[in-house]
Amino acid sequence: MGILSITALSKKFNDSYAVKNMDYQFTPHQCIALIGPNGAGKTTTLRMIAGLLKPTSGNIIFEQNKNIDRRTLIGYLPQHPVFYPWMTGSEFLTYSGQLGGLSKSTSRKRCEELLDIVGIIDVKDKRISSYSGGMKQRLGIAQAMVHKPKLLMLDEPVSSLDPIGRREVLTLMEVLKKEMTILFSTHILSDADEISDELILLRNGEIIESGKIKELRQKYQTTKITLQFAERQTFYEEKIATLANVRNTLVEKDSIQVIANDITKARNEILQRAVQEDWPLLTFRLEQASLEEMFMKAVNHS
Amino acid sequence: MTTVLFKKELLENWRNKKWIWVPLVFILLAIMDPITNYYLPEILDAVGGIDGAVIELPDFSPADAIMMSVSQYSTLGVLVTVLLSMGAISSERKSGVLDLVLVKPVSYTKFVVTKWLSLLSLIWSSFIIGMLASWYYTVLLYGEIPFTMLLAVIFYYGLWLTFICTISIFYNTLTHSPGLVAFLTIGTTLVISLLTSLFGTRTAWSPANLSTHLQELLITGDVPSALIYSAIVSILLIILILFASIYSFKQVLHNRNE
Repeated sequence: MGILSITALSKKFNDSYAVKNMDYQFTPHQCIALIGPNGAGKTTTLRMIAGLLKPTSGNIIFEQNKNIDRRTLIGYLPQHPVFYPWMTGSEFLTYSGQLGGLSKSTSRKRCEELLDIVGIIDVKDKRISSYSGGMKQRLGIAQAMVHKPKLLMLDEPVSSLDPIGRREVLTLMEVLKKEMTILFSTHILSDADEISDELILLRNGEIIESGKIKELRQKYQTTKITLQFAERQTFYEEKIATLANVRNTLVEKDSIQVIANDITKARNEILQRAVQEDWPLLTFRLEQASLEEMFMKAVNHS
Repeated sequence: MTTVLFKKELLENWRNKKWIWVPLVFILLAIMDPITNYYLPEILDAVGGIDGAVIELPDFSPADAIMMSVSQYSTLGVLVTVLLSMGAISSERKSGVLDLVLVKPVSYTKFVVTKWLSLLSLIWSSFIIGMLASWYYTVLLYGEIPFTMLLAVIFYYGLWLTFICTISIFYNTLTHSPGLVAFLTIGTTLVISLLTSLFGTRTAWSPANLSTHLQELLITGDVPSALIYSAIVSILLIILILFASIYSFKQVLHNRNE
């Protein structure tokens, strides 16, 4: 049962598609990363789901219900959140909560709670015009959560933060994941790798790959073994090249890359020979595909 | 929801002191001409007079004095109104804060209507205060004029100001540049006034004729039927443009690429 399903979603600006024919089922309580280079359609997708833009075609259905205003169930943080500079942080958050359907007193209470969680409670009565970038980002996250949404959408939540702020936001997202579904966009692959359960890879407005991170890893698993020897590298390289399950070898500066037909068999073979013949082996590494390689591979595939 | 949005507008206009300077500007505009015209002989004497020249100064009636205020509003008053309203929605869209409002379950219709109402409340309050000041000095310096006349002026001329505010709100929904809103609003007002004077009696019902008909009302004391027609046409146009604003707000925002 999906929390949100998008089908054949497209958005056309003038004559070009910003998002094209996108389908996806969102599972509850997952953290989903929307990855892609700049201009891939990440922001347009998020803005359509948030209701800020109207799709040119296609459907966005929240919890199988067409008739609800899905904005009541969605929290959204734009890439560069802007507030009313003449308001104080606590005023804005209370206002935001009231717009989200809370009564004034409930909104006030919720506001105190949230300002504490995001860590700007000590500047709550200062004008937003005096806030730093990090404080605004936190206030932005707080306003997105103020009406307890089921889906939290964050557009590049950490890319404008310093390393400490970045760490704090990632930790916060880790906690929030337990209460709601999080959909966030990023072009920093390691961030996605760190906290998300699912990935959607976008290019030119289209999904080129998507699914659970674990499954994607398997799919794009590299059949590559990296070896390092203490001496006579080329000598061993020639030996390895003759092994049955090895397809190809490549000598790099101080290591040998082995491309195998069957990674498990090749691994056993090499290790057996190494023990039998007492090879001066320094490093033996099966390369896990990093997200970056996966991304490049997916991009090249399509 | 409308109350929440409206209270925010009130607070904003209080914080940026609009609730202080706009009424002051409207008072100033209203009393400037009646007072300077009254004291013109003394002013001329004080600066030394003009030797030998005999200056015939017309005798102004109370109705003339009220019309002096109205004619100030027709030029500078309209300008102030346009400058005040040019950023009502467009500046929020330009800065991006509009996104944070519209991702919440806020009705687009209520949003536009609230902006319109908040602008009108400021303009009408300032205009009424200004006209009361004008009335005070008129009675003091030029003589009695019935209070009902003043109410008629406030009502009918207020319609013209409302008409301009509504045009401005309409352009606010179209573009995110406050400067362009001001330009288009002033341009539209000028074109309407020009066409109205060009076609003369055939466009007697034009909203731009409200002040012309008002003059007739002040002189004769009777409500001319053309004034009624102008008022009805104005009200209909205001409603129409307001609906158009709501429609264009949704269309433009849902399809913008920014």
